[in-house]
Amino acid sequence: MIMRYCYILLSTALCFLNVTTNAADREGVEFFEKKIRPLLVKRCFKCHGGAKAGGGLSLATSAGWQKGGETGPAIIPGEPKESLLIDAINYRGLEMPPPDKGGKLPKEEIVLLTKWVAMGAPAPGDDALGGMSLKEARSWWSFQALPKGGGKLTSAKIDALINEKLAQQKLTLSTITDKRTLIRRATYDLTGLPPTTAEVKAFLADPSADAFDKVIDRLLQSPQYGARWGRHWLDVVRYADTAGENSDRPLPHAWRYRNWVIEALNRDMPFDEFVRWQLAGDIVNAKTDDQRLREGIIATGYLAVARRYGHDIDKDIHLMHEDVIDNLGKNFLGLTLGCARCHDHKYDAVTSEDYYALYGIFNSTKFAFPGCEPKEQPRDLVPLMDNAKADAMMADYQRRLDEYNNASKFEESEAQRLKQVAAKAYRVLSKALVEETKSASIHENADGKLDRLAVKKGEVLQLTVMPNGNHGADTTRIELEITKLGDQPKTYNVSDLIPRLTKQGPFVKHNGATWCFFDVAEGPRFLLNRKDSVDGVASLQAWANGDTPSVFVNTSNSPVKVWTTLPPKAFFMHPGVKRDVALSWVCPEDGEYEVRGTVTDAHPAPGLDGVSFRFEHFPNAKFGDGLVGLTDSYTARDKMPVKPAIPVAYAVVEGNIKNARLQQRGDPKQPGDEIPRRWLSVFGGEAVSSGSGRVELAEWIVDHPLLARVMANRIWQWHFGRGIVATPNDFGSRGEAPTHPALLNLLAAQFRAGGYRIKPMHRLIMKTAAYQRSSQVDPSRRELDPNNRWLAHYSRRRLSAEEIRDSLLSASRMLDLSTAEAHPFPPEATWKFSQHAPFNAVYDTDRRSVFLMVQRQRRHPYLALFDGADPNSSTPSRESTTVPTQALYFLNDPFFHRQAAGFAATVDAKLSEDEQIQHAFKSLFARPATTDETTIATQFLAKYPGNTKAKWSAFARVLLSSNEFLYVD
Amino acid sequence: MIFPGIVEQLLADSDPLAARGSHFPGRAKNVIFLFMTGGVSHIDTFDPKPALHRDVGKEIKADHPEIANRPGYERIFLKKPQWEFSSHGESGTEVSTLFPHVATCVDDIAMIRSMHTSHSNHYNATLGMHTGSFAFSRPSIGSWVSYGLGSENRNLPGFVVIAPKQTYAGTQVFSSDFLPAAHQGTLVVPGAEPVANVKPRVPSDRQRLELDALQAFNRLHKDKRQADAALSARMRSFETAFGMQMAVPDAFDFSKETKTTLGNYALQPGQTSGFGWQCLAARRLIERGVRFVELIDTGSSGNWDAHGDMMSHVGLAKNVDQPIAGLLKDLKQRGMLEETLVVWTTEFGRTPFNNKADAKGREHHPWAFTSWLAGAGVKPGVVYGATDEHGLHSVVDKVHVHDFHATILHLMGLDHERLTFRHAGRDYRLTDVEGNVVNGVLA
Repeated sequence: MIMRYCYILLSTALCFLNVTTNAADREGVEFFEKKIRPLLVKRCFKCHGGAKAGGGLSLATSAGWQKGGETGPAIIPGEPKESLLIDAINYRGLEMPPPDKGGKLPKEEIVLLTKWVAMGAPAPGDDALGGMSLKEARSWWSFQALPKGGGKLTSAKIDALINEKLAQQKLTLSTITDKRTLIRRATYDLTGLPPTTAEVKAFLADPSADAFDKVIDRLLQSPQYGARWGRHWLDVVRYADTAGENSDRPLPHAWRYRNWVIEALNRDMPFDEFVRWQLAGDIVNAKTDDQRLREGIIATGYLAVARRYGHDIDKDIHLMHEDVIDNLGKNFLGLTLGCARCHDHKYDAVTSEDYYALYGIFNSTKFAFPGCEPKEQPRDLVPLMDNAKADAMMADYQRRLDEYNNASKFEESEAQRLKQVAAKAYRVLSKALVEETKSASIHENADGKLDRLAVKKGEVLQLTVMPNGNHGADTTRIELEITKLGDQPKTYNVSDLIPRLTKQGPFVKHNGATWCFFDVAEGPRFLLNRKDSVDGVASLQAWANGDTPSVFVNTSNSPVKVWTTLPPKAFFMHPGVKRDVALSWVCPEDGEYEVRGTVTDAHPAPGLDGVSFRFEHFPNAKFGDGLVGLTDSYTARDKMPVKPAIPVAYAVVEGNIKNARLQQRGDPKQPGDEIPRRWLSVFGGEAVSSGSGRVELAEWIVDHPLLARVMANRIWQWHFGRGIVATPNDFGSRGEAPTHPALLNLLAAQFRAGGYRIKPMHRLIMKTAAYQRSSQVDPSRRELDPNNRWLAHYSRRRLSAEEIRDSLLSASRMLDLSTAEAHPFPPEATWKFSQHAPFNAVYDTDRRSVFLMVQRQRRHPYLALFDGADPNSSTPSRESTTVPTQALYFLNDPFFHRQAAGFAATVDAKLSEDEQIQHAFKSLFARPATTDETTIATQFLAKYPGNTKAKWSAFARVLLSSNEFLYVD
Repeated sequence: MIFPGIVEQLLADSDPLAARGSHFPGRAKNVIFLFMTGGVSHIDTFDPKPALHRDVGKEIKADHPEIANRPGYERIFLKKPQWEFSSHGESGTEVSTLFPHVATCVDDIAMIRSMHTSHSNHYNATLGMHTGSFAFSRPSIGSWVSYGLGSENRNLPGFVVIAPKQTYAGTQVFSSDFLPAAHQGTLVVPGAEPVANVKPRVPSDRQRLELDALQAFNRLHKDKRQADAALSARMRSFETAFGMQMAVPDAFDFSKETKTTLGNYALQPGQTSGFGWQCLAARRLIERGVRFVELIDTGSSGNWDAHGDMMSHVGLAKNVDQPIAGLLKDLKQRGMLEETLVVWTTEFGRTPFNNKADAKGREHHPWAFTSWLAGAGVKPGVVYGATDEHGLHSVVDKVHVHDFHATILHLMGLDHERLTFRHAGRDYRLTDVEGNVVNGVLA
């Protein structure tokens, strides 16, 4: 363990260094970073890297080596001969590293260190913020204020700025593309779907100057816009439908956030609001109406969908916070804040203190908990209704559940008590075996006559039907009449039960008497499962325990054919294996009674051996009173109460408000100083004044020019395939510089001045000539600017994974454009996911691909194949790889084959083959087929074996696999 | 090999899988990475600890991650190994009776008995052994090797994972993550259709008709678009895929293997599953130029995770023992072992103690375990490093997972500090900021 600890120290000492930059000596610092720091870390830090520095010397900071150790300063800058460090590594006097700690350094390393000291021991200076000097940080381009004004940017102005650069680069422009290409490009860009033949036709037929403007407007109004642009945002926020911890638990409520994003984009929610709600929607909407609050809560799903780590999420919660901070830094600010978890940012103006200042904000926030193996099911999901209302509903449920449980307990103990009461006093009046197909009389089998039986109020007459031998059970028809003799005779007949069986409970109270139905094996256990139909037949109603034992009636006036033919208007008892079933009659008044009855095998079948019965008298009113007491308990309590479905969101709320302590080297077990919750120091470091600080954080972010810059760049990138800043998640010193800085400034200013509305930005961009240029470019020009940084032409692009799938579904006309809600996850109560048996599923859907269920631990096989977004970290732009396994998909995937067959089926058989080919080209490529293509198609259809369906399915596969289908010009 | 012209064509363009040069001449061209899921007990297999027999039942103290704050584990006692060890080969390396066949190969093996890792949880340790990261999603070692060296067969993927079931941490263990997707591990599941969508859904002659028409349309399309490399690359990918439909089944068609060969792998003719099948498939893939083949023996349950009873090691060892020995001998006999590195490992070891002296199982143990290397560039017949007398700690010449990775890359001719990829503003490596090549196992 100790060795391992050194190992950690060694490896992370790099991070622990006080990394600062002396702007005056960039080269020297670079030399230090590249050559010296790694050397010090590798050779010296085991002993001289931390607080417990050997000999009092720490080589971790310039202060450390200048102060030196017990033997004086280690380094005199510029004076290698005077520097103890150089003496020591040359084994002059001191011997460092000592022979037992690695021994003398190789010669080249000694040379490097000597050179460095001779250079003046350049190292990052102390006037620094993370990896930048204060001066550098203050003048960093992306932190600068946006140009004043704004709101006046035009498409023409954008073109002017682009053309200026093109002229500087001496690049010639491609022409404006044709209308068919343009509408296909625009439709995919704004909706992720191909244009319909009718839409293409209408556009071609519209000669007006603003024909394309109308197309843009129509597309921006389409609800499919949100499915495409929402997906862009979901890429950036690394949305997923599972938590990502070791058992990868489903997030059954995350979809609300996904749908909110889609919907917010559709209604062009101002982006500042969009951001504010995602960070603090629960708080900023707290005092508004219910609907708005609901939405605000759902929006914070952005924070909740952070990836969870480890076996016990709570133990690795610092990693979730890193994911949150890293993501919000990249998304909103284009800053890699996550780098400052273990050490100050090496390149940007972010310190570890900054990181833990933000950490405190999120540590003061309660995140919905997705469950994990040791802690099981989810908790802290946020109710989407007023708390008081939700609490009242839950309290009511709890009360009813308690009542239910208490009643169940009472019934259980009563059953035990009554079993003993019954055992103390009973008299078997009659019993018999009822052979297969036969009947037996209850009264004629009696030892004594049953025509004058003294029964007192509360005493019980009970008919028990038992399976015969080991043969389980059979359907037994019961006819039974109990008549009170005397001046005012009264009859009690099982036929009274037929219309009433399931109306009250597992008993019927009629004419003062109580009939009870129960399983007698372990005391009177009432048959609690009510069945409003048996075998799907509504005229059969039953009380049962499982399937059997049961009592049931046929309420129909005609016979019913089920497993056997059951006579009309009849009462049946059906024992189970070792489960005798009883019908008890609790006597309503003292008197003399006559009993007449028959027990009949109602399911005559070869191989069965009938049933038997027992008819008893329980001359103890305590038994009958007990049974009636039980019926009262059943009446008083309803069914097991159903937990109220309070709609919940996977979201966050305010938590336990407190500052975090810095975690040295990113290790929560090594807490450092408490860091007040505040904004990044480079931006002023304003302190949080109340609550977790999410509201203020959102305001700081929204007020910063980075937000508009980063998002304007993203919008641009999602149109052109490449941002003005080609690293859309990194506007820091490791990111790329903007190709068109003035344009980016104007776009950002325009975005802000326009109230952060995204849709007007689309209009502005799509109306430029730059956007409308042809993708045609001759090879010589391509070589001059292989990545098309200067936009001399439109960059042809492959469809994204979602676009491919949606286009295939669209071609087959199987695409379901409705909005999906929850995924069909297994019910939460059944979850037993563990790292040994993690959640794993792929759900099919014909809806748009943005609704596919995306797992963190197991990539969706289709999305992974076609460069779908990474569900574990922000994907600012999609890759576009070409690998043979993608081609295998087009050759052999069953889904692809189904869509091709589906498309083939849409081809009108009444058309001529030529017309059919034209139809196919128009609907898939938005253009008619050329003569060459018609020839290839005709030959193919002639040559391909099989019937028309087979030929056309094959031809559809060819077209749907083609480059033209897959690429947007 | 199906379309000889394609290779050249693909190499001509910027092709992520094109065979690339190493940093320095590598001893190994290919890797077969054998991963035993669940944590194999080192002290019952490859790390003999006679002192455990002497001290069985003795109470010890250990600040161990698996027992901290765990009710019932306040006291722990040494538990003795359940299998006998004996010396084998000229090297005399000791192996237990769980691996009688591997024991016959010890003269080709460099046994590392001082492995240790950074996490005691399956998920994290498995992720770490594959990606060098114990928490985050990062590229797999197979992806790094494929990225570093490319592939030599354009009809087969450069990185193949043969696994009957998924191990811990899901597809992350063979993911290319931020590396280009071409370096993604292709999953082969033993059985009827080992690679997804590789089985033609229409007869080959019809498929050819379709492909010809497709390429005719694509040519017309491309001709109007002045040499766009992406369009040509995609056209070629269809020919490659067409070839894969034959190359893949061919690699998994053992009908021309002799009965003796099959027997060496403990395979019956016609058998299409089992670890023997995986091992022979690995040899055949390596023969065909696949750069990195990983074999995972079992899934995330029913594996070596013997908490309940160490006797479960018997069946699991039997499942892999003869096939592994068969693979080593087959490679050697064919001269392939000279350029193939065979790696055997698990995610961590198992505790030499338990909370009762007579407990039947063992717990997760990240402090010490055994892995071994064999083949190209590996010093044969050596034992490297050691644990203490009870197998509790690695103490001599400790080898962390990062060191293990650095060594594997080194054998491939790759410097683990130079094999980097710029992602999100940072240069990433398989070994993060750690790792030292273990020179003691190099020939």
